[in-house]
Amino acid sequence: MGSDEAYNFVFKVVLIGESGVGKSNLLSRFTKNEFNHDSRTTIGVEFSTRTIQLKSLIIKAQIWDTAGLERYRAITSAYYRGAVGALLVYDITKHLTYESVERWLKELYDHADPHIVVMLVGNKTDLGSERSVPTEDAKDFAEKNGLLFLETSALESTNVETAFQNVLGEIHRKVSSKEVTRGSISAVSLSSPVPRAAGDPEEKKPCCRNL
Amino acid sequence: MLSNWNKWMVKRHKKVRLRCQKGIPPSLRGRAWLYLSGGKVKREQNRGKFEELDSQAGDPKELDVIEKDLHRQFPFHEMFVSRGGHGQQDLFRVLKAYTLYRPEEGYCQAQAPIAAVLLMHMPAEDAFWGLVQICEKYLPGYYSAGLEAIQLDGEILYALTRRVSPLTYRHLEKHKIEAILYMTEWFMCAFSRTLPWASVLRVWDMFLCDGVKIIFRVGLVLLKCMLGTREKLKACQGQYETMELLRSIEPRYMQEGFLVREVLEVPVSERDIESEHHVQLKRWRKNHGELHWKSPPRMHGARAIMASEPPSRQDLRQNPTIIVESPLPPPQPTPQLQKGEKKGKEEKKKGSMKTHPPVTEIPNPYNLPGDPNFHPSPPESSLGVFSCKFCYSSC
Repeated sequence: MGSDEAYNFVFKVVLIGESGVGKSNLLSRFTKNEFNHDSRTTIGVEFSTRTIQLKSLIIKAQIWDTAGLERYRAITSAYYRGAVGALLVYDITKHLTYESVERWLKELYDHADPHIVVMLVGNKTDLGSERSVPTEDAKDFAEKNGLLFLETSALESTNVETAFQNVLGEIHRKVSSKEVTRGSISAVSLSSPVPRAAGDPEEKKPCCRNL
Repeated sequence: MLSNWNKWMVKRHKKVRLRCQKGIPPSLRGRAWLYLSGGKVKREQNRGKFEELDSQAGDPKELDVIEKDLHRQFPFHEMFVSRGGHGQQDLFRVLKAYTLYRPEEGYCQAQAPIAAVLLMHMPAEDAFWGLVQICEKYLPGYYSAGLEAIQLDGEILYALTRRVSPLTYRHLEKHKIEAILYMTEWFMCAFSRTLPWASVLRVWDMFLCDGVKIIFRVGLVLLKCMLGTREKLKACQGQYETMELLRSIEPRYMQEGFLVREVLEVPVSERDIESEHHVQLKRWRKNHGELHWKSPPRMHGARAIMASEPPSRQDLRQNPTIIVESPLPPPQPTPQLQKGEKKGKEEKKKGSMKTHPPVTEIPNPYNLPGDPNFHPSPPESSLGVFSCKFCYSSC
């Protein structure tokens, strides 16, 4: 997981959604295989990386976790810059967190790359008995809006791996199929091995120059 | 010092500052913070207000968010570890009271760690007024909708970095690392979630005495230490790598002795911050238009707060925090201590007695000659004031 590993791509992915839906635990489950009931509230930003193998490629995922409370949205635009993927998380037991998905989506498209890969994630499936957001509703919404969709449980480690893998895979598909013009969606594509790189388009230039 | 607070603040402020820089003794810290912040005066001038707010229900929407956060503050601290325990209950009361006190502001998550740190040092009512002062005098606008004040301070910090460490400034500029990415948590929580605990307390001692410039200086010291040399910068090419570095600051730079020394050296004054504020505000207005949230002006520390809200003598009088039934005969007529001096000595003793027996504060076994005011605890316990057995027996 160290940053010295060789990799083919660096993708920046952001976690967004209301406060308390489990973004930080999704992050820690994916990058450290940890879950904490009493994790601290995120103020500002947290981040972590994990390098995964996707077919023959090594992808380094930089995952940024942001504060969910409404008033932090004023400052989150800075986090979106350079992001190529997003997990928009809601809590399946709290309908309000699902209702605000649309607002988050708008926020995302306002500030991030228009080609960003977005997955709608219904978290906390371990609390199935308290479910208030039917799977079908969310699925329909995701389809209508061209989002990937999955339900997860960071607690039980259900689908967390798959969720991130799917998003990263989809980003890679977009990048390699040239569905997007180069420079629009940002991904560093370099022949391996490279010691360091970053996913930010602005970052790419100085980085390549150094190499 | 606390019993003659007004005089000390007006005439010997330097000494007060020096004490805060050296670190306030743990047994006095809570009360000193309350005096420094002006929370004490606010509390006296608004008697009954907290109780009133405490008895009201509060906006369910706000309460929901607050409740979600109660167990997410210092989850390893003894006081906040148990769900529904006293610490969490008090935290709820304080935060709820604030949303009722300033309904237009509501609750912002970074207020919880601030309130929690205060609660570790004082009862709920005091912590509430301490929070009010921090939110309105020290860091006005930080927690308000739109978070404009913190963004503005991010710009100020960035500009000051240029002066303090040009190398760091160029690196941040080159990699387009906006201050808001790394300083939000630092500033909004007054470093309470960043530094080791001993350093948090020392920083807060200075912060409550001298105001926000201390927060800026701590930020500048950390930036300079982590990103101030070419070798260090070589090792972190990129936005993410730099952010990673700023999230994992080397412990030696945060060690209290080192940090405080460095903070005192940073050549950034209130005036520098104010003039930079002026510049950045102008820029902000040009780019974003008028500020949406009109915050009250920022007060740079205890003295400025005191000058803006002059306290009466009554407001500054120390009250016992713990009152127990006295087994002794009915209290003597309350001593309207004629001389502040005398009262001062007694109060001082009370302070040292509040907690575990501090070695250095155990009263001098040799009764100071020519000190008619020196007597062991009985006069206090006869007032119905809790007095510590340790001292009582050792006196």
